[in-house]
Amino acid sequence: MKPASVRALGVAALLTTAATVWLGLWVTPPDRVQGTLVRLLYLHPPVAWVALYLAFGLAALSSLLYLWRRTRSLFWDRLAASCVEVGVVFNVLTLVTGSLWGRPTWGVWWTWTARLTSTALLLVLFLGYLALRRVPAEPEVRAKRCAVAALVAFVDVPIVHFSVEWWQTLHQSATVLNPELHVRVHGSMGWTLLLGFIALTLVFAWLVVVRYQVEVLSDRVGDEELEVSLAERQAEGADDALPVGAMAKPTPEPAGGPR
Amino acid sequence: MSYVIAGYVICLSVLAAYAGWLVARRRRLTRAVALLDDADPDVSAPPAPVADPGR
Repeated sequence: MKPASVRALGVAALLTTAATVWLGLWVTPPDRVQGTLVRLLYLHPPVAWVALYLAFGLAALSSLLYLWRRTRSLFWDRLAASCVEVGVVFNVLTLVTGSLWGRPTWGVWWTWTARLTSTALLLVLFLGYLALRRVPAEPEVRAKRCAVAALVAFVDVPIVHFSVEWWQTLHQSATVLNPELHVRVHGSMGWTLLLGFIALTLVFAWLVVVRYQVEVLSDRVGDEELEVSLAERQAEGADDALPVGAMAKPTPEPAGGPR
Repeated sequence: MSYVIAGYVICLSVLAAYAGWLVARRRRLTRAVALLDDADPDVSAPPAPVADPGR
């Protein structure tokens, strides 16, 4: 991606996020039941959408494409790694914003209901993925291992999504991504929520692009540093093996060159 | 309202801190790659044209 395109994406993400904050905090009216707490909902569902569906969904898809022989390329491995790291940040924010909304609404910061527990489990699973990436191994071995881990972790995503349907839970059922796809939010509240989804999707896209560039650069620096240190090691070994005189005066080639 | 403000502040500052860290890391790595390229120039590249000293 060209630097100008990355910059344009960053500017678009910044502007839409600023507009969401302005609409969410100052323009939209307070809710009849929730009061001003409804303003947290312009952040919490978009953040959860990015973490669960976009980041971890894209990571699972990239991992699948890496494991499939026809499309196997380190591009998919790097993309999956970038999505998981950004997704983990958004997963933490999902739990934090949800907790801040839950305390005044439910009276508790945390409760072990199905939705919350499965979301926390998702965070732990993808933290495990990131830990697995740090285990030293050949790039191909690491990529294959991590792709399998991402697919295993992704099994929890549908559990998180349907947890509010399958079990009795404090968490409300889906307002936007419900089975009828009927959005039960109206007026300026609905538009602000939609803008929140767009803004955080753009933020996610920009972060993934930058994270991907970091992954490519760190792979390159890691490889080259390894080559440089190996060459130095070999040179040191050669120095030790050769007599001092041979190092000081290289043997001149006989006239006429090698025969 | 304090919960709302806390939510927005935490969310935006975490995202901004993470973005800043990523950009700083990218800058540092770009510099490291440039240094490595300088230390080990590409020998397969064609030599640069040399000006004729006679002229």
